[in-house]
Amino acid sequence: MDRGTLEKLAAIRRGELSAVENVQMALEQIEKQNRKINAFIELNSRALVEAEAIDRRLKRKEQAGKLAGLTIGVKSSINVEGLRATCASRTLENYISTYDAEVIKRVRAEGGIIIGMNNMDEFACGSSGETSAFGPTDNPAAPGRIPGGSSSGGAAAIAAGLCDLCLGADTGGSIRNPASHCGVVGVKPTYGLVPRQGLIDLGMSLDQIGPLAHDVRGAALLLETIAGKSSNECVMLDVEKVSYLEELNGGGLKGVRIGVSPKFAELTEPKIMGVIDGAVEKLRDLGAEIVEVELPNLERGLPAYYLIVSVEFFSATRKFDGRKYGKRIEEVCGEEVLRRILRGQYISRKEYRGKYYQRALQVRTLIRQELMAALQKADVIVGPTVPKLPHKLGTKLTPMKMYAYDYLTIPTNLAGICGGVIKAGEVNGIPVGLQVQGKVLGELEVLRVMRALEAAA
Amino acid sequence: MKVKIGLEVHQQLATERKMYCNCPTNYQDVPPNTNVCPICTGMPGSKPLPPNERAVNAAIEIALMIGCKIITDQTVYIQRKHYDYPDLPSGYQRTSLPIAKDGKLYGVRIREVHLEEDPGQYDPTAGTVDYNRSGVPLVEIVTEPDMKSPEEARKFLRTLTHLLEYTGKVRPEAGGAMRTDVNISLEGGGRVEVKNVNSVKGAYRALKYEIIRQRERLRRGGVVVRETRAYLESQMVTVPMRAKETEEDYRYIPDPDIFPLVLDRARVETVEAKMVEAPHLREARLIKKYRIPKASANVIVSERELADLYEAVAREVDPKLAATWFRTKLKKVLNYMKLRAADIKFTPTQLASLLSMVKRKRVTPEQGELVLREMVKELADPEKLLLKLGLIPLKKSELRAAVAGAIKENPNAVKDYRAGRKEALNFLAGKVMKLTRGRADPREVSKLLRLKLKK
Repeated sequence: MDRGTLEKLAAIRRGELSAVENVQMALEQIEKQNRKINAFIELNSRALVEAEAIDRRLKRKEQAGKLAGLTIGVKSSINVEGLRATCASRTLENYISTYDAEVIKRVRAEGGIIIGMNNMDEFACGSSGETSAFGPTDNPAAPGRIPGGSSSGGAAAIAAGLCDLCLGADTGGSIRNPASHCGVVGVKPTYGLVPRQGLIDLGMSLDQIGPLAHDVRGAALLLETIAGKSSNECVMLDVEKVSYLEELNGGGLKGVRIGVSPKFAELTEPKIMGVIDGAVEKLRDLGAEIVEVELPNLERGLPAYYLIVSVEFFSATRKFDGRKYGKRIEEVCGEEVLRRILRGQYISRKEYRGKYYQRALQVRTLIRQELMAALQKADVIVGPTVPKLPHKLGTKLTPMKMYAYDYLTIPTNLAGICGGVIKAGEVNGIPVGLQVQGKVLGELEVLRVMRALEAAA
Repeated sequence: MKVKIGLEVHQQLATERKMYCNCPTNYQDVPPNTNVCPICTGMPGSKPLPPNERAVNAAIEIALMIGCKIITDQTVYIQRKHYDYPDLPSGYQRTSLPIAKDGKLYGVRIREVHLEEDPGQYDPTAGTVDYNRSGVPLVEIVTEPDMKSPEEARKFLRTLTHLLEYTGKVRPEAGGAMRTDVNISLEGGGRVEVKNVNSVKGAYRALKYEIIRQRERLRRGGVVVRETRAYLESQMVTVPMRAKETEEDYRYIPDPDIFPLVLDRARVETVEAKMVEAPHLREARLIKKYRIPKASANVIVSERELADLYEAVAREVDPKLAATWFRTKLKKVLNYMKLRAADIKFTPTQLASLLSMVKRKRVTPEQGELVLREMVKELADPEKLLLKLGLIPLKKSELRAAVAGAIKENPNAVKDYRAGRKEALNFLAGKVMKLTRGRADPREVSKLLRLKLKK
């Protein structure tokens, strides 16, 4: 990608590049690369028709929306009317959405063109992009390695230049983890900022839809488009429209307090930590004040998360009983999905409630309090996104080893705060992402820090 | 042998919209699967809308009516109750923790009140599901095991049904709108739950059957195990439900997609202020205020609209006369014509003017009743209806002439009467009524006949 998202948008608006040409470019790239990368599992056959409509509007100088003509990939767990929302599972392989998710309505209203549905870990259960029933996704930034997950297809599509923006969803790192491994930008918004109506559930109290993009301003643009309260939904924050772009001019970071924790180094491979430390130095050079914060219980989030997510996932999947969508989930799903269902079924039993689920909720409260306290001392907390480098596709990992990828991203979801990822550097040619965690509704601060780092590169 | 009976009553709330989406609730009036959307069919990715405010208020009102304390200023979680059945689109039913507790109705303690949603309707023969009903709000009322016989349970259910209908906040009992789970235990036996009883009569029969079944078993030295049974309406028996269902663990979790309810005091007070008076309270008030007998007051409060009409009429005419008329005449006419008080079209003033004619003896009570029948049928002034019915008041001279005529034409009857056969008087009175074309007051006729025949 030679130019930034906003520059491309401006070119379309000026008529130098038509929406149709932009869609054709995307389709060509997908045609050329997708066989190898496997980032898309379904394409929108109406994309060109929709692009023509955008071009007509632009030609007539009508309002065409803030995403006019950009191509958007969508995680296969988000409903797009007429396209299959399979969750990359055989359970829903024939489920064609009957309605648009709220975020899709918003994207369409702003002239975004849904180019197709991205591959993902089956039902978002995975951190590697390998558990899809449609086959694994490759990492365009480090071929032969996993792209991370579960929004694997979205991050890979951005990294390979298959489309302009992607909608992912993040329950315990599913946007940030693949963004880090693929070297792209991703944001997990504050819980309750973006409507979930139409997002197929993993863990309802943790799930949040967010953007994947080539650059910070692309991510900010898509986030602005989808964020804000919806009357069609219950559990949302009382936030009207938000705008970030005007505030992101890549200036210095004077007066910004950036928190770092010694805990990160304990949990992370030294080579990765080296890249992260370099990024922190850069932030200091840009004028930020670096402060140390305490996160003593950070690693306790992982077991608590997997208990909570399993119980919620068990509940959410009861509708896949084989009567309505053709297949009973337990009979056709992969082993990680089955493991989570069975775990959820087991620990939600009446006699175990106090022992597991309630305890997990207590840990969640503890982690939230800890992060909130840290974010009193600092405006954002920066650190590594993933503690390990992505493994080679096809390597067999034990479930615990696989879960260990999530140590650093899970606490953000447990606390309900926001977090973004931007490439900080490379280790042996493999991208390493810096995670920037912000307060509740602290997206602007997060994006500002990310943008400063991006502009300084 | 001591019997303990407790009930869980589910009744649909009469809201226009479903509990968690905007679909209409008139599921019986439309073709299958037309009142549906992604939310009430549980399509993948759909999320509930905030709970229907009107349904919540209706449940508060009902809870207050049965004397419950509303749980205010605390979080009340909406929980997911998981079970696997074709009519349940998401594999769980949403049910609130108690919104109210500790009530009492006619000596039966009410344990708690919940808000729930109805599932769809499964037709096992056709293998089809209709989701029109899915998501219709329900109130669940759970009693303590305070009833000691099927008769007591029946009486309680009738009272409760009446009370619920009186509030106007629930759907009429027809069409499975009310469902009851019946819990019964005999001394020395386990508690048996009978599920899905669809009527008061069904509950009574299921209880009768269970008492016989359990008593027989205990008498023969057997054990009554704690279990869940199903009532088969067609055969009037209960049968064990599959073992799997009875051992079921619903794996309750708070629904992460809905903020818990918090009912603040102010909201409860608003509902309370607008709430209709409970029938038993209204009965007591009517007795005191209008000095009418309990029997009349009881009939008057049987329907809210009837009681409203009574109070409006009682402002204009003698409340005691009105009460007698409501109990004896109006109720009779309504029953005869199979009408409810809500169907009445005439105004309180029209009824009051009829009653004042009776009071002034302008018309006889019998004539008044004829007029009342017409008033129910067609909307018109009692005066006009009197004319239409030909009930022009009889002149004294006309009555005297008719009495004389009847005596003259029926010498045999006169002879019989004078010989001591009292029933001959009725025969003669009938002749007089015929001659006056029913316009005479029967009491006057008898009086005059007796007087004339004495001579």
